[in-house]
Amino acid sequence: MGLSLVILRKDLLIEIRRKDSVISMIFFGILLLFVMSMAIGIGRKVDPELASGILWISILFSSVLGLGRTFSLEKTNRCIDGLLISPVPPSSVFVAKTSVNFFFMLISEAVIIPVFFALHGDNITIGLAPLLATVLLLNLGFASVGTLFSGITAATRRNEVLLPLLLFPVITPLIAFTVKATGEIFAGVPFGEYSAWLRLMAAFGLIFSCAGYLLFDYVMKEN
Amino acid sequence: MKDGFIDRFLVVISTALMLTAIYTIFFYAPTEIMMGIVQKIFYFHLPMAFMAFLSYFVAFVCGVLYLIKKDIKWDIIGSASVEIGVVFTTLVLITGSLWARPIWNTWWTWDPRLTTSFILWLIYVAYLILRASVEQVDRRATFCAVMAIVGFIDVPIVFLSARLWRTIHPVVIKSRSIDIEPAMLTTLAISMAAFLLFWLTLLRIRSRVDFTELRIRNLEKIRRGGM
Repeated sequence: MGLSLVILRKDLLIEIRRKDSVISMIFFGILLLFVMSMAIGIGRKVDPELASGILWISILFSSVLGLGRTFSLEKTNRCIDGLLISPVPPSSVFVAKTSVNFFFMLISEAVIIPVFFALHGDNITIGLAPLLATVLLLNLGFASVGTLFSGITAATRRNEVLLPLLLFPVITPLIAFTVKATGEIFAGVPFGEYSAWLRLMAAFGLIFSCAGYLLFDYVMKEN
Repeated sequence: MKDGFIDRFLVVISTALMLTAIYTIFFYAPTEIMMGIVQKIFYFHLPMAFMAFLSYFVAFVCGVLYLIKKDIKWDIIGSASVEIGVVFTTLVLITGSLWARPIWNTWWTWDPRLTTSFILWLIYVAYLILRASVEQVDRRATFCAVMAIVGFIDVPIVFLSARLWRTIHPVVIKSRSIDIEPAMLTTLAISMAAFLLFWLTLLRIRSRVDFTELRIRNLEKIRRGGM
């Protein structure tokens, strides 16, 4: 666990100094919000469920940008070799990289969500605590599967192209749960009626963080 | 040449059984009163859906075995299985649509079974794309094993998520009783057996191609080393 923190600290430090991952994620997310507002017709009032779809497409697609960089960063100067011969077990690398992706997503969401509310917030109830829970659970599932797959795609010829192709089919259930839960939150439904969706999101996150933790060992050794 | 014999035997038997199945479907099984001739597609649709699922299960087991034993044999069988599974899933989606158009009056609906088949198709096509993007044999085998395992873990979750929408898919086989005419059941059983043997034949032939390729590659390596 301590060793994971070392890698986490290193990656966050790199990001603070270079600022390229999070900035591009935020920019792309806002860009997507704008593109989708145009696609549905500028100035149209959206109902809560559609709004939830718009928000999550922006966040999910922009988060893929950050994922792709998780391991391509280590590829420069073959840093990954250093990581492999260091006494850090691959599963700790998985924990560290998943946390990095989790935090990057959290930071970009902290900007994208307020912008979303400014654009489409008229018909929507703002339930801050349940929305935060949804965001955290989505990030857990997305970052776990995403980190595992970015470990795979980093060792292939077509890293950036391949990652979303592998990732999105597998996380479709998570996307479905998230969009449903958020739609109900935006509609102002009481917590008891949509807590089942949140539990399912938590289950998805747990299953795939365990699967990733166990399988990452094999993936790392092929890098 | 024992393998060659078994393959030829399987080809003959599964062809014979498939012809029998087709004969039974069209001349023995009674025509359904409500749906008419369209219902016959069910005898292809259901066995293919089963075989597709079986393929993904086999790929999952092979993936686990490969990661444990590191024997390339499991990678070859697993990937052959996924390829066949994708072909069958594609056919399941197509035959389902053909049936749904006259019966449900739509090509597609977001029913759990349909949605699940569609998402499975997406996951395993992604597997094939991944496979085509990695050249080094060991690396490709490991990545594909991981993908096969993750994909299969996802199956029940996908089904659960899809189930939370309402279902209109007919449930023919329930856990207790089977909701079907005896003659139709016989036909279904023959068709099922035919598809199972056909699946096995395809799997053997497809993996033999890869085994041969591997042997050629090894021979080339020895030859280059000797020169």
